[in-house]
Amino acid sequence: MTRYIIRRLLWGVLLLILVTALLFVLFYVLPAGDPAKLRAGRLQNPKIIAAIRADLGLNKPLLTQFWIYIRNLGLHFNFGYSYYSNASVKSLILDRLPATISLVAGGAVIWLASGLGVGIISALRPRSRLDRASMGGALVLVSAPEYWLGLILLYLFAADIGQVKIFPGANSYVPLTTDPVKWFTSLILPWLVVAASNAAIYARLIRGSLIESLGQDYIRTARAKGLTERRVVLRHGVRSAINPILTIVGLDIGVLLGSSVLVETVFDIPGIGKLNYDAITHSDFPIVQGTVLFAALFIIVANILVDIGYAYLDPRVRYS
Amino acid sequence: MSVGAAEIVPGGGLQLLDSDVEISARSPRQLFWRRFRRDRVAVASLIFIVLLIVVAIAAPLVVELLGLPGPNTQNPNLTDAFGSPLGPSSAHPFGVDPLGQDVASRVIYGTRVALIVGIVGTAIATVIGVFCGVIAGFYRGWADTLLSRLADVVLSIPLLMLGLGIGAACAVRGCLGGAVQPGIRTILFLIAFANWTYVYRIVRGLVLSLREREFVDAARALGASNTRIMFREILPNLVAPIIVYSTLLIPLNILFEAALSFLGVGIRPPTASWGQMIAAATPIFNTAWWYMAFPGIALLLTVLAFNLLGDGLQDALNPRTAR
Amino acid sequence: MRSLRTITLAALAGVLTVGVAACGSSNSSKSANAGISAPQGVLTPANESWTGGKRGGTLNVLNHEDFEHIDPGQSYFAIDYEAVYATQRPLYSYNPNKFAPVPDMAESAPQISSDAKTITIHIRHGVHFSPPVNREVTSADVAYALDRGANTNVANPYFEAYFKSLEGFSKAKGGPISGITTPDKYTIVLKLTEPKAQIVADALVLPVSAAVPQEYAKKFDEKKPSEYGNFQVATGPYMWKADSSGKILGIGYQPGKSATLVRNPNWNASTDFRPGYLDQINISIGGDPTVIGRQALEGSHTVQNDTPAQSIVKLAFEKFRSQLFIAPGAGNRYVALNNSHGPFTNVNLRKAVWAALDREAMDKARGGSLVTIPATHFIYPEIPGFEEAGGIAGPKFDYNEHPQGDPAVAEKYMKLAGFSSGKYTGGTTIQVVGSTGNPASTDAEIVNQTLKNLGFKTKFNLVDQSVMYSKFCGVVTEEIDVCPNVGWLADFADGQAALDVPFNGKNIITNGTNSNWGQVNHPKINKAMEAAENVVGASARAAAWGKIDKELVEEAVAAPWDWDKQPAVEAKDVAGAGDVWNEASWDYSFTSLK
Repeated sequence: MTRYIIRRLLWGVLLLILVTALLFVLFYVLPAGDPAKLRAGRLQNPKIIAAIRADLGLNKPLLTQFWIYIRNLGLHFNFGYSYYSNASVKSLILDRLPATISLVAGGAVIWLASGLGVGIISALRPRSRLDRASMGGALVLVSAPEYWLGLILLYLFAADIGQVKIFPGANSYVPLTTDPVKWFTSLILPWLVVAASNAAIYARLIRGSLIESLGQDYIRTARAKGLTERRVVLRHGVRSAINPILTIVGLDIGVLLGSSVLVETVFDIPGIGKLNYDAITHSDFPIVQGTVLFAALFIIVANILVDIGYAYLDPRVRYS
Repeated sequence: MSVGAAEIVPGGGLQLLDSDVEISARSPRQLFWRRFRRDRVAVASLIFIVLLIVVAIAAPLVVELLGLPGPNTQNPNLTDAFGSPLGPSSAHPFGVDPLGQDVASRVIYGTRVALIVGIVGTAIATVIGVFCGVIAGFYRGWADTLLSRLADVVLSIPLLMLGLGIGAACAVRGCLGGAVQPGIRTILFLIAFANWTYVYRIVRGLVLSLREREFVDAARALGASNTRIMFREILPNLVAPIIVYSTLLIPLNILFEAALSFLGVGIRPPTASWGQMIAAATPIFNTAWWYMAFPGIALLLTVLAFNLLGDGLQDALNPRTAR
Repeated sequence: MRSLRTITLAALAGVLTVGVAACGSSNSSKSANAGISAPQGVLTPANESWTGGKRGGTLNVLNHEDFEHIDPGQSYFAIDYEAVYATQRPLYSYNPNKFAPVPDMAESAPQISSDAKTITIHIRHGVHFSPPVNREVTSADVAYALDRGANTNVANPYFEAYFKSLEGFSKAKGGPISGITTPDKYTIVLKLTEPKAQIVADALVLPVSAAVPQEYAKKFDEKKPSEYGNFQVATGPYMWKADSSGKILGIGYQPGKSATLVRNPNWNASTDFRPGYLDQINISIGGDPTVIGRQALEGSHTVQNDTPAQSIVKLAFEKFRSQLFIAPGAGNRYVALNNSHGPFTNVNLRKAVWAALDREAMDKARGGSLVTIPATHFIYPEIPGFEEAGGIAGPKFDYNEHPQGDPAVAEKYMKLAGFSSGKYTGGTTIQVVGSTGNPASTDAEIVNQTLKNLGFKTKFNLVDQSVMYSKFCGVVTEEIDVCPNVGWLADFADGQAALDVPFNGKNIITNGTNSNWGQVNHPKINKAMEAAENVVGASARAAAWGKIDKELVEEAVAAPWDWDKQPAVEAKDVAGAGDVWNEASWDYSFTSLK
């Protein structure tokens, strides 16, 4: 097991370096703008632009720049500095991380709870009207673009621009440490949006998985023993059905932490996704690189955790 | 929505393997079709999609039949003194946008982008994924290692962030020596770049198990070449799962295009795209709800139809989950 | 979206006497006569008042855009200026409602020698730096600030343009400039190699003249690039919130997220003309313009400090009229047509585009007549030369006559250009690069459609505004044919400031960032501009530059379509002071809470 974990971790690190290299080449070969000129401003003579380029290290060969980046990252966990504000990218990311974590974690709680509830109810009465209605509703939610859903919710329920003024709207996020109540209320709408599409997916997954496990022999045995239906479903059926789902939750949270840019943009939540989006529009490459890497890190770590989890549950995996 | 691997794999791969284990006098394909026809929702979705394709191809005709102006007909008289667009009326059933362009007409033309991106993009990704998957699954060894690791790298990159970066970089002049031009070609490139990995993983798994089957041994005993075994013996067995799986990818890709266009790096005006219309509607959506609502509904219905169709196909292929 | 702010770098053969408020008032009366004053009930520079405000309280500022550079030596952008002019005291600065400067760190108007080669300025006594520096400001601090202008680590964008006549400028390389001397603690003397004292004196209103303490700043300025901005100390009524070491980043400024200005404890009101009513200013960055505009209008103690969205202006006018401020003279907007490359080297094709363009539709997309005036030439209202160039109606040419566009006239010029069908049949595909975001993209689309109607095949692209300028429209070698949505805002109320950089051939910068976007380079006009630079006297200059403006129209060097009237919105319990000299931004030093 230890060897397997070490192997997975090593591959994870290598993967991260490969992703860094790929991104570096991509943004070096395909810059969206000239950072030196952007920093220099609208009216600038070539001399100063050249000086800025040298200051930012942009005149060095690609390989040197890459080596410096990797070295700083590996030795000092230093992601570099913003071309504009000189702010350290690491501090920017750490500053934005709580917002993104708040968004994803809260969303995950809602989608798991509602997905589980709806999934179980549907699985118990497959093909019933209730099942069809909830599965149909789930599909509609999966099909709705989340930014659109967010805007519609704002239009309907936001306290500032809504038709029915209930929840705080966009640009109302406050950190948990500043004001827990405001934090909670400001995140209600974003959570609903994050949860909507995922809850729908999970309801469908749980339904399928549960129907499958309820058909297994040991469930029939449990029923034969005279256990209550409630007990059979919750203690035996759901428990075995939920295992594969939990691993997917890990992966999804990993992906979401790095790609909540749409919801963050719509609701103006100062998270990692918004940071990345703003940096791209300003060609602030160190921030772009840092945020994408961070997001990749989430995905890779989630994958490793899931793999190790699998290996723990199913010894055959370790030797493959 | 996030286009993570995790969301796609569970419904697909593992269960698809069971498809031709069915014991029956009828061929699996006949069974599949019989089951599919019984699923009224799926059939309705298929009809809806066919209709969409017709609308997309005949968009100019449809717009003319409905008596609407063209999608790029600007008319400043259709905005008020402050430049706010006017709402739905009999002449403009979905209202107009800030340029005085007819929203209904643009929604109809938007079908083209959605379907091209959804169908063509998915097709390109599928071809690449199937090819690599067959090679990796059949030869195993270093080809498999290399391709699988490459897929790992691609899957580790947050796709939407990458899309934002490439979309911004390839604006105006295009990039990669002009091969990736801004607009729809950038999106197709991104879809192909990311989506082949999903198809690849499924196909590779299927081929790994199929290559040990009797009919492959038989073909080999008869002296068939590797190429023949791969593409004439194994591949036909994969057609059904590949179709089902690609159908499930189409709605994801339509949403991906809309998301990129929403963020301003996808389809550029004057070409009509639903995502870009929603983006343009964002700053005025509290005064012009129609500009936001109708493209969004069109997007939702289209994605829903593909999801329902994919669902139906999957159930037909693997009836156990559909009980 | 804002960021039209680009300040002219041209040498001004000075007419603007620093410290004398002459131009601003005479011009606003002129514009009232021209019938372009704002409608009843709206706040304007003429009726806004900022005296006798209530002291204390926290103002919430909502900004969509982030600061570009907060270092006073580098700032060159309206959003940056809002903070810079509240925290720093340049030698000269402004009252909110006038274009004319007043002495700020300086005690009085600059003394200019008769040969126009020496400027002597006395600075105020008793002005102190904010913590952690705390000591009194001396002339050496002003000298160091000016030295920084030539320091590439600071990368000031305009210093060379205005101050290169300083003795020893070319040898300075970031160190002390020999032409700047401080005979005593409160006197600074600038020695020039050429008789350009008036221009240099005029330019002292720019933030590069705000004092910087060398002993504290030097270690930050040695960093490449300089980090002084993130550790700056203040002289004005406010300062960036900082920790005890003076660090701002992460405390008073979270890039892309928020900023906080607090009272400068060392500020002495008796040395300043600013009232400084507020205790604190909380700036939130990044909100959607529609949302934050509404939050400002309906909120409390809140203002929006970038351009409100078109739908917000409409809402404000209809329901919150007394909370809407509109300032004229906020720059021009035009379609840049490439005069040096491609089809638009042909004057008749340029005229055809001008004739065909529906300027009223373009302006309507920006919010209509409340915030725009369809342009008929380039010098915009409030700038001397506007009336001389033809006022609202503009120079009389058939392509200029119909603000809604005239296809017949367009056809005429197409034929004159040699296309007998009246449509362009030259075959070249033209590159059109506009900027994203409403309403800029809407206007770009109108231009694109106009070009298509004229028969052009276009490659149409929208990119972020900063990318549009820095990578495409401002780069000569990109050979972009049409930039539909560019604009110019002069820093001084002077015709030259409005016309020289964007239209003088000598300002085409090939390797740097070029702001002559249309690469306008007509020998006759270049020569006229050279002559007009040296004209002395307000009315003579207005006449000279007004005449050049007419010539630009005659050559149709670009197609102007808008003179901006900048709107700004505030909450009902804010007594805002809108800066007419800074694109109607709310001036933190003069704004109070009701």
